[in-house]
Formats: sequence, C-alpha cells, structure tokens
Amino acid sequence: MNSITKISLLAFLGLVTFSCSDKPELFTNPDTEKAGISFQNTLTPTEDMNILDYLYFYNGGGLAIGDINNDGLPDIYFSGNQVKNQLYLNKGNLQFEDITETAGVAGKSDWNTGAVMGDVNGDGFLDIYVCAVVGLNGLDGYNELFINNGDGTFTESAAKYGLDLDTFSSSAAFLDYDLDGDLDIYILNHAVHTQSSFGKADLRHERNPQTGDRLMRNDGDRFTDVSEQAGIYGGINSYGLGIAVSDFNLDGYPDLYIGNDFHEDDYYYINNGDGTFTEDLKNHFGHTSRFSMGSDVADLNHDGWPDLISLDMLPQDENVLKSTEGDDNIQTQRLRTDRYGYHYQFTRNMLFINRDGGDYQETALLSGVAATDWSWSALFGDYNQDMQQDLFISNGIPKRPNDLDYIKFVSSDQIQNKINNTALIDQKALEQMPDGVTRNYVYEGSEDLQFKDQSETWIAQDTLVSGATAYADLDDDGDLDLVTNNINTSPTLYINQTNDKATYLKLYLKTPTQNDFALGAKVYAYANGVQQFKELYPVRGFQASSEPVIHFGFGNQKKVDSIRIIWPDRSTQLLKDIATNETLHVKQENTSPFNYATLRPKQQLIFKSVTDSLGLDFVHREDAYSDFDREKLIPYLVGDRGPAVAQGDLNGDGKTDLFFGGSKYIASKIYLQGDSTFVKTDFPGIQNDSINEEVTAVIADFNNDGKNDLMTGTAGGDFYNKARPLLDVLYLNEGDSFIASALPELFENTSVLAVYDYDNDGDLDVFAGSQSVTASFGKLPSSYLLENDKGTFRVAQEFKELGMVTAAVWDDFDGDGKADLIAVGEWMAPTFLKNEGTKLKIVSKTKDGLEGLWQSIIPFDIDGDGDIDYVVGNWGENSKFQASAESPMKMYYSDFDNNGQTETIVATAKDGNYYPLMGLDALASQVVSLRKKYQSYRDFAGQNIEEILSEEQLKNSKILNVNTLKTGYLQNNGNSFDFVPLPRDLQVAPVMAFCLFDFDGDGNDEVLAGGNYFGVQPFHGRLDSFTGALIESDSNITSGEKLGLNFAGKSIRDLSVIHLNGKAYLIATPNNEKIQLYQLKR
Amino acid sequence: MFKYLFLIFSSALLLSSCAKDTPLEVTPDDYNNAVDKVTEVIIHDIFSPPVASRIYAYSNIAAYEVLAQNHPEYSSLAGKLNGLGETPKAENPAVNHDVAALIAQMEMAKSLIFSEDRITEVRDSLYKTWEDQNADELEASKAYGLQVADHIKNWMDGDMYKQTRTMPKFSVNADNPSRWQPTPPAYMDGIEPHWMKIRTFVLDSASQFKPVPPPAFSMDEGSEFHKQLMEVYDVRNEMTEKGDDSEEAAIAKFWDCNPYVSTHKGHLMFATKKITPGGHWIGIVKIATKKNNADLMETVYVYTKTSIALFDGFISCWDEKYRSNLIRPETLINQYIDDSWTPVLQTPPFPEYSSGHSVVSGAAAEVLTEIYGDDFQFDDDTETAYGLPVRSFNSFRAASSEAALSRLYGGIHYRAAIDEGLKQGRQVGQYIVSNLHMKNDGEALSHSGN
Repeated sequence: MNSITKISLLAFLGLVTFSCSDKPELFTNPDTEKAGISFQNTLTPTEDMNILDYLYFYNGGGLAIGDINNDGLPDIYFSGNQVKNQLYLNKGNLQFEDITETAGVAGKSDWNTGAVMGDVNGDGFLDIYVCAVVGLNGLDGYNELFINNGDGTFTESAAKYGLDLDTFSSSAAFLDYDLDGDLDIYILNHAVHTQSSFGKADLRHERNPQTGDRLMRNDGDRFTDVSEQAGIYGGINSYGLGIAVSDFNLDGYPDLYIGNDFHEDDYYYINNGDGTFTEDLKNHFGHTSRFSMGSDVADLNHDGWPDLISLDMLPQDENVLKSTEGDDNIQTQRLRTDRYGYHYQFTRNMLFINRDGGDYQETALLSGVAATDWSWSALFGDYNQDMQQDLFISNGIPKRPNDLDYIKFVSSDQIQNKINNTALIDQKALEQMPDGVTRNYVYEGSEDLQFKDQSETWIAQDTLVSGATAYADLDDDGDLDLVTNNINTSPTLYINQTNDKATYLKLYLKTPTQNDFALGAKVYAYANGVQQFKELYPVRGFQASSEPVIHFGFGNQKKVDSIRIIWPDRSTQLLKDIATNETLHVKQENTSPFNYATLRPKQQLIFKSVTDSLGLDFVHREDAYSDFDREKLIPYLVGDRGPAVAQGDLNGDGKTDLFFGGSKYIASKIYLQGDSTFVKTDFPGIQNDSINEEVTAVIADFNNDGKNDLMTGTAGGDFYNKARPLLDVLYLNEGDSFIASALPELFENTSVLAVYDYDNDGDLDVFAGSQSVTASFGKLPSSYLLENDKGTFRVAQEFKELGMVTAAVWDDFDGDGKADLIAVGEWMAPTFLKNEGTKLKIVSKTKDGLEGLWQSIIPFDIDGDGDIDYVVGNWGENSKFQASAESPMKMYYSDFDNNGQTETIVATAKDGNYYPLMGLDALASQVVSLRKKYQSYRDFAGQNIEEILSEEQLKNSKILNVNTLKTGYLQNNGNSFDFVPLPRDLQVAPVMAFCLFDFDGDGNDEVLAGGNYFGVQPFHGRLDSFTGALIESDSNITSGEKLGLNFAGKSIRDLSVIHLNGKAYLIATPNNEKIQLYQLKR
Repeated sequence: MFKYLFLIFSSALLLSSCAKDTPLEVTPDDYNNAVDKVTEVIIHDIFSPPVASRIYAYSNIAAYEVLAQNHPEYSSLAGKLNGLGETPKAENPAVNHDVAALIAQMEMAKSLIFSEDRITEVRDSLYKTWEDQNADELEASKAYGLQVADHIKNWMDGDMYKQTRTMPKFSVNADNPSRWQPTPPAYMDGIEPHWMKIRTFVLDSASQFKPVPPPAFSMDEGSEFHKQLMEVYDVRNEMTEKGDDSEEAAIAKFWDCNPYVSTHKGHLMFATKKITPGGHWIGIVKIATKKNNADLMETVYVYTKTSIALFDGFISCWDEKYRSNLIRPETLINQYIDDSWTPVLQTPPFPEYSSGHSVVSGAAAEVLTEIYGDDFQFDDDTETAYGLPVRSFNSFRAASSEAALSRLYGGIHYRAAIDEGLKQGRQVGQYIVSNLHMKNDGEALSHSGN
C-alpha cells in the first residue's frame, strides 16, 4: 500500500521535473502531415445529407490500429464518413506511408463508420472490417471485410464471408463467444428515426433488420446470423453506439455491454456458455447513462473484476451546462420507467465498479468523471505507468443541437415550417447553431478510484472534434500512444513521453487456434504485492479497435514477480520473475487447465436471506405526494422518510412484536410474535389513524402500568400548519386494545423519538426531533424535550435553533453517569446536549465546521480504545452536492419573489465561485423575475449566485451550510470528539440506518450500516450503490454483498435484529419496498 | 412588421425636424402595431395561452382607461371589472390622451412580458419622434400614461398571478387510467394548474359556466367515451387517406395556435412557435376594426372587450380542465389502439376537457358579434406569417365554430370538449355582453361591413 503511494509520488516528481515548459507533460502532438498522414475526415453537409437527415451525421469515422504486416510496428487504418478510408504503414520513427491504393482498402461504401481489426481467417494477419450506413437517403454500400493477403494487399471478401450487411452500422467487435477457437463478430447497429413518443420497452423483442444488432457466428468460411437464437435484441429502438466486450462475471465466456443512445436501455448480455446470452441489465445496474455513447472496460481497483465506464454528454463548463438541455424532469422520468418499462437513465457518464460480478457500484460523481461534455470514446490505459489505470476521453461536436437558446429562440425563426414542408434545413439555420467543440479530457487514475483531471497538464488544449480513439505503442518505446480520428481536421497523434520515467511490460499473445491473437485472454501481473488485470479485447472506446497488446505500467519496479495468463480455451500459464521494460511474445504452451471457480469471491456469508418467511410480509408503500411538486427548488424530498420500525412486547406474552409505520392514508401494521411465526394483527385504536405517516416509533411502558405502550412520530411533509396528522401519538396499552392519549400539541414533521428518563424520576421521557417545516424548507423546525409525569407529557424544553434533526441518541458522553443527547441532522453539525438533570444544554465537543446532511448516529467503540465513539451517517460524496470546509455547500433561503412563499437555492463552489445546481428554467419557475433578468440561456450561463440574486435578495437570504458530506465517526478523545471519515465504500450514498449487534457471533458487537436514497432531482442520478457494510472496527469494514446482504438499489431506513425461537434475524426495512429478512448464520 | 413600423417613424422624424410643437397624433395603426409587437414578444418569450391572454388584457385595459377619460360616449371600467378602482384623471391640460393611451399600453406590456428590450426599443423610438415634435405634450402624456399604468398594475397585483407561480406543480396520477398524462414528444408538465385561482374580470367565479362533465371514461366498446375516442382515431385515418390537402387538414393547421411545437430529430430539437388562440382572435380584432375603419377609441375598445372575453374564457376553461383532468386521445390511442399513432397537431400540455380554443373562440366571437353584428364577412390572414393561407368567414361565430372543430381534425380533442367547450365559451361571452357595458349608447357599432 505504502509503496504504491511512494511510486505515485516518484512518478509525480518525475513528471514535475519536466513540467517547467508550456509543453504538455505526458503527450506531445507531432505534426500529422510531417508524420506522413494526410487523412482527414471532411464532412460536407448537403441538402440531402445533414444533421436533419441523419441524426448521427456528426458521429465521425472509425479507427483501427494493428500491425498488418507483422513487422512489429502498429499500422493505422482510418475510415471516413464521406471520404475514402486510408491505411498507413508504420515505417518507424513515427513516419507513416499511405498504402491505401496498393492495399486496396479505400472501400466502396458512401458512409463509413466504425473500423476494427481482427484475424478473421486465422492466418496470422490482421484483417479489417469497416462498417457502413446503407439505405438512408440513397447511401449505398455495405459493411466491408478486407482480408489481409499477407503481402501488403487485401481482398474485400465481405460477401464471401456473409458479413456484407447493408444496415445502419455503428461499429463491430470481434469475440469468440462460443469458445470454439475462432472469431465471431457482434455488429452494432443504430436506428435512424426519431421516436416522438417513447414506446414500450418491449419493442426491443421485435427484430428490425436495419437497426437491430447482429451476432454473427464464425462457421469457418462463412458467418451465420445467430442473433435470434442467441438472445440478442434487435428492436426498432436500439440506438447502439457503445460496445464493450469483457468476461464481466469471470466465468470464462465473453459478455457484452451495449450502450444505446436515447431512451432505449443499455444491454448487459451475460454469456450463458451454451451459445446464448441473457440480457440482465436491471439486475446488475441501478441506473445507466441515458445518451450512452462509447465505453471501456478495465480493472480499476485491482480486485480482478472488470469495471466499466459508459459515456454521455453532460458538460462540465458552467457556460455550456446552463445553456444546454439537461435531464428530464422527475415526472417524465417516472413515466419512462413506470409506464414504459425502461430502466433509470441519467444524462452523465457512469463509472461502474464491478462488485464480484453482482451489482455494479456507480461512482462517476464520486470519482470525478461524470461530466466530460459531448463525449465519444473512453480509453483506459496506464498512460503514466504508475500501475493505475488512467482515462482518456475524446470530445466535441461541430454543432451543438441541444443548445437551449437555439431550441427556444433561434430555431423558430430560422426553421419555421421548413421541417414539415420540405424536410430541409437551410445552411443558414445550421450556422446559427453554436459549435460544441470541446477539449479532450485525460484523467490520472488512482487506486482509490479517484480520477484527477490532468487535461491541462498532460495534453495540449485542443479545439478539435475528436471521436474514434485507439491506443498503440506507435514508436515502440513501451508506453501507450493515442490516435484520434477528428472531424474536418487531421487526426491527432498523442505521443506518450513517459519513456524511461517508469517501467512497463508489453505482451503479444499467440494461440495455436484460428483465434491466433488470443482475443479474450486474461493477463494478471503481480508486482510488489499489487495485482493488475487486463483482458485482450482490442475493440474498445468508440468505433475503433486498438493495438492487440496487453500493456502494464510498473512505476519504478525493475521486476515483475509473476504473470498469469488465462488463455481463451480456459487453460493457464504462469511466467515468473520477469524483467520490466520488455516486450514479450508469449505463445500458448505448457499450460494447465484453469478452474474459473477459483475466481469466485470468497464470501463469508453471515446473512442468509429468508425474506417472505416467518409471516413477515410487510411492504412499505410511499404515498404519491412529492415535495418537489410544491417546493420545486428544495434539494431533496422530505415526505419520504418512513417507515417507522419499532419492536417490543405489545401483548404481554414475553415475546417481541413488531410495528411498521404506514405512509399517508396507508395504515401501519403490527405483527405479533407467535410460536413459530409472526401474525399480522389489527389494533383498530392504532390502525384507524391511517392518515398519519409514521416515520419513527417506540414501544415502551410510558405510564408504568407494566404494559408496553406505543408512541409514534409522524411526518410526511404534506400536512401543514395545525393539521392533526402532524401530531405525534401515544397509544396506551389497555390490555386488549390501544387508546390514543394526548401528547403536547406539537405540529411538526417529527424525525426521531429518543426515549430516556433524563430527570431520573422513574418514567421515560422523550426527545422529539423535527426535520423540516412543511412548505417552508430551510426554516428551522423546533425539537422538544418531553417530560413524562405518570404517562402525561409536557414540554420541558423547546429547541428552536437546533436544526433540521434527523436522528438522535441518548448516551453518556461526559461520563457523569447520566445519558446525554447527541442529535444529528441536515444543514447542521452533530450537536452534543449535556443532560443537566432538569434540562439539556448544548455543549461544544467537536471542532467547528461539521455541518453535514447527517442521517444517522450510533454509539460504538469503533477504534477499540475502550471509550464510546459515535458513528455518523452522512449524505456521501457520490452526488452533485459538493462540500468541503474550504468550499461549503450553501443553501440560500428566502422569499425571493415576495409572494409569501419561501424558496431555497442550493449552490456549490466551482473554481471559487458559487453556482446554483439548478438551471434557469427551474429557478425562474419560482422566481419569475429571473426571466426578465436573463432573456437568454447564454446570459444566464456562467452567472454565479451573487450575480443571479440581487443585492437585496442576497441580503434577505438566510444561508445554511454543509461543510462535509462524508460518513465517518466522532472519535472520542476524552473530552472532545474528532471527526474521522470512513473509507470510500461508505461514501457512495447516504447512510441512513445503523444496527449494533454481534452479527458474526465472534463475541463482539459490530455496527451494520444501510442506506441509499432516491428522493433527489434527476441530475444527481439515483443514490443506489451502497450495498451495506459491516463495521467491526475503523480498519475492518466488510461490504454487505460479501456477507449475503442485498441492499443495492434499496433505500434502507431501518435495521433491526429480532429473535424467534432462539434464532436471530435481521430485518432490513426499505422505503417503498418489501422488507428483507435475513437469518444470522452464527 | 418592425421594419414597416420603423419606416413610419423615420419618415415622421424627417417631417418633424422643421415643425416645432405640432400636436402629437396616434393612429389606429399605431395601436395595431403596438399590439402586434406584444404578440411578437409573447411568441418569442413563449408564454402559454392563458398567460398570454393576461398580457393582452391588462395592456389593452390600461390604454382603454386612458382613452375613456377623454371620450364621454365610453365609460371607464372602474367598478365594472372585479376589483378595479377609479382611474385617475388627467390634471395637466397638456395631456394628449391618445399618446398617453399608447404609452400606458406599452408600459403594461413591458411589465408583463420578459424581453423588455423588444418593447422599450419601439417605445424609445416613439419617444424620440414625439419629443422632437412636441416635448411638452409628450412629457405630460407620458406622466399621465404611466400614472394610469401604475393604477392598473396595482390592481393587477391582486389577481393571484404572483401567488400561483409558486403553487404546487400538477402531479400526474398515472394509476388512474382516465387522468391526464404528459404527452409526446416533450412530455411537458401540465401548464397553469392554478389558473382557475386567477381573479376573473367579469365572471363571478371561475366555475360560473362550468360545463357538463365529459362522457364517463370507459374503454368499453359502445360506450359514449369510447365512441368519441374512436372518432378521433377514425377522423385522423380518413384524413391520412385524403392526403395533406384535405379541407380538414387545412382547418386543423390554420387554427393550431400552439405557441410552442417542439420537434425532435435525434439530438436536434426545434421549436416552431406560433401565436396563441387568444393571439389569433386579437388578430381578428385588427382585421375587423380596420375593415370598419375604426378610429383609435373604437379600435382600443374592441381590443379591450375581446381580450376581456378571452381572459375570462381561459379561466373558465382551465377551471374545468383541472377539474375533469381528462386524458388526451393521443395517450389512449397509443396505449390501446396503435402505439405509433400521432395526431395531426401536437397535443398541447394540459388536460383535455374542455377545449381551450373552443371556449375562448366562443367567448371572443360573442363579444365581436355584439359589436359588429352576426353578419360580418372577413378574410382572416392572421396566420400568413406562419406559412398558412388566408381563410374567409361570414361571421365571427362561423370562425369560432371552425376553430372549435379544428381540434377534432387536429386529433387533440374529443367531440364533447369541442361542443361543450364552444357552449361554455359562448356563455362566457354572452355573460360579458349582458353585464359589461362600456359604451353609453349601447355596444353595437355600425359597421361599414359587407
């Protein structure tokens, strides 16, 4: 671990030494012309062929790199949309020769797209497959297959092999899906029509010959279309732009991730190993990119599982972000998912971390790669050779068709009626559309999955439109160079200058089969205790294939301990003690069979799912009320915080019973424990209050009559003023029935009821925390200390300024023998309230600046030093919210338009200025005057909050802050507490529930954490990636999926352990879902 | 249009350079141009039909209130429109009421739209001209025009518009099959779900002319609702057979009046922007007053009364829309009959019943009929700027009936919404006719007509 830090440090220092000039530090761009490359993908819009006639007019050409003459130097093939394709022979020293004519590879199609290389006939020479769009507006041609004759010439043989498709192809990928030792091909097609209505998702089951993807099986001298029998979708709505091949579930068979543009879901095809695939996206991905473009796969976190990035088109630059069309609103989103059957999709890049082949953890926002504008190709590679995968993303579009000013103001005047009448758009109208030229991005990877934007230092700031990208070691110096195929300019060569600053290994693999380049081979490198894992699939990125080479960087290591190769035929070979800075040509020999079962994760399952048993069939249903309909600018919902879960003996039989709260108009449920199961039992005195939304509850004997009573805390965000359902209720146990007894009339959205006899008078008192004021989010609600006098409660103390409390716990933090209170909440810091016997007094126990969006707290000696620390669940760092002590997130709260209704505007810092998260349309829908202030989106874009709001509006605003979004713990240092963040896995989503128990039966208690939250605007995506975690100590935390828990995609609100017949069970209660029940395997 | 306006002003400028202190003159066409400017900005700023009706109404009322002070045959609207108090009188004898009226109209329009520059540009050029002609008269008229505008603004401030901006969004209930849902391609939220809370001008309440409920929702064959749904579907299919040049298609397109038709082509999106239904009737006012050679007072009177009818008509209609909350034919046809069916016109983003164009056309036609009679032939060239032909009508009511029917041909309304909508609108219009008296000698104007 340390050594890696050291290596990166060294690598970093190494880089610094040559950063003194203005030249980019990692990649230089030699003059393409001087390198002998004259190719240029020139686009000429005509009346019959432009962005209106063909929606992918600007998707660019293809690019394939590979050594076509086996001289050790990778050669480059460019395909052009309207121009002829060209092949360049690498002559060494970065000199290239155009051999298109003699090679005979210029191609005949009118519109070429992706180009890929692969040895189709297994003769040891790379062949070239070029895709085409055919049949649209008279475009002629077919997908062409150039078979390499081995003498510098090629013979176009697509028809002979049955690959002369005349469809709307984007790209293709070679893979041996049936492991029969030859290369099959997946052909990615795209629809060209515009769907005006979404249409149902099951349209994908009906095959359309022009637009549907094809899987073609290599049967020796011919390819057979096996799409249908293999289970490949071929619908009218597939806008296939991205394709990634990888053995995602590590069973030895290649799987596929297909990225579809627009509302069609991406496809995740799991290879069943019997010639068929199962599309299983929804079971593995919580959400995906919406306008999916290119993608790439690599093991980023050294766990041996392939991770995935899928690109979209979200801009980073405020000026672009706020002047282009963003995500759909929530209602449209709901329509698409609930009514039409599509999956959750959001407009941004998605980084999917493979969790043992199960659920993917999506962390693009946390990892810093969510927004790279109009992005085409992603290529992972260890470009600086520090053992971490870096990321290159190509970008740009000649015309930006989603510019809001263009859509709303410019287009109408220009295009009026032309579309319908003549299907033509003037050149003039197109000229009005702003360009979308953006620089390419390069990110430096790190082992903790943080990507650092190095675009300004590693590469030159280009003003090009770059699409298809491929890597290769063009100058044979051991590091990875890059080539981009650009629109209307020469291609760009990115020549890597890592050179001898860090070590590498290059591997070229050879099998004795027809798949002689060993596509699908897995290579593991072990050096200095670090595993690196690569798969050989040259088709990656977008419309391109890279050099078929496995490349590793090793920092300053001189030697690699071992290299393990798993060949496509499931045999393996181990190489030991290899010197770095070598190119290895490895032949498949001396192999032994490989057992893929050894790659299965070693799970220490301590939870066994027994959901649907024990008579516990509770399903929580959230009501349809959405706070966003009423308060359109608030940062997240407040009406979805239930359900309450409480346990205790309600019928005096000594067994623990269960209470689950309901949402508005849905009754709560009570389950009484019987001999072997729970029995749902109605208590009209309680369940008749179905209008109440119970979000917290306690079962305890409040009137000291020896029988347990039930107290419920109600909320829901919908009821306001003095609406009765806002009143918390005490249901007194009358033996057979429960009768509501009056509590002080406190009309609050209660969040927590924490019970303790603080005044030591022998009865249970209650801290009632409140989370928000209905219809006035941002206003601080009052929380209360209720003193119990023989079952009658009075307000002993009101806390007007405590904040938006979400959770509280009684615990003796000062060791005086009396439990004190610690309250946490949103836009507030964890607050320590000392129990002074008669009242609570806020005391300072932490450093300032811990305002967060805290959701949960539990006392636990996490560092094992004998005193109690507090684990505190926060929002996490995987959303558009960003906060730090230096740049806190701010929420401006005021009645900005003086109409009697308050609004909130959340702003986060970008380069020292604060920008609202929401765009002009959203803000102006509430603060109408902004429409007058900003008559175009361009005027608004780039404006910071102090410019957007008037001086008076700013002056009248109350500002609430968040300084940290990290989940962590408050470490007990005797008299004070220091906040210590927990590792990355606990920062991927809000942590909303804790439970203390000895889950693994080792004699020590652990804390189990659950979370996730979906009540956010679509630009956040869905905070669904937290799989739960078992916290044994600050250094021993295990992810839930490794323990048998299935929390991904669920918003867990309560974790409780119950005992039945001497066995312990975990109940995990999500919002708006069925509860989960696990038996503890102790 | 703007160029034309500019030409007039520049020639006025030339003339004025030698003549000092000539009395200022405002022609009916000056006012028409100012209203056209408002229409242009409404289109540019993309105001929805109800909100657009409010812009027309308050700006015309302000001009009317100024002119009525100077025309004893007309009476002020004070006390006649809900909540409107006494309009201040001009104290300075130098005030030119015609000029002040135009200034008041422009000032109101400017405050009601977003792109103020587009109004102030014209206004400032007028000011410049007037200043050169007669600075004193301008000063006095401006002060008075702005004073009346202020008076109208203060009254307007209490109409609940501001409050409705932050009222809850319309929440879609997708579980109930009869309830309205957002429609393709933009799937916009239901617009102005609280418009019924806006203060009416003449109506007692938004629900005063509540139509009968729409036929009960039922997808059973033979039910009235299902029959009407199938009529929409069948009419569209027949039109497809007849081709683009059918009379039905011509009617549908002529009365489309959708301020924001969104077109998606891949990632490319366009808006085709047009006048609103109210804007179309404002255009008819121009045609009618010009045909009648109306003077400035008459012109402003007809604009004002028509826009009052449109305004109350929208409130009445929106009251019903969000009460019955009925699903659009496109949603049902896509769901149950043909998932690739599209209506001829783009379905506008609000519930189906009753038809807005039917209601406001009905209301406007009644008011115009009262003024110019039931026998008023006119050639409607309102839509030529949007590439549509001229259509001729023998009466305002005939035009309103065709406007209503266009919604069936357009595939965006069932028959009931059209019939009951037209009825509802005519009731609104007739109520205004019987209750809002603006002329002391009766509302009808002799017309030079046919």
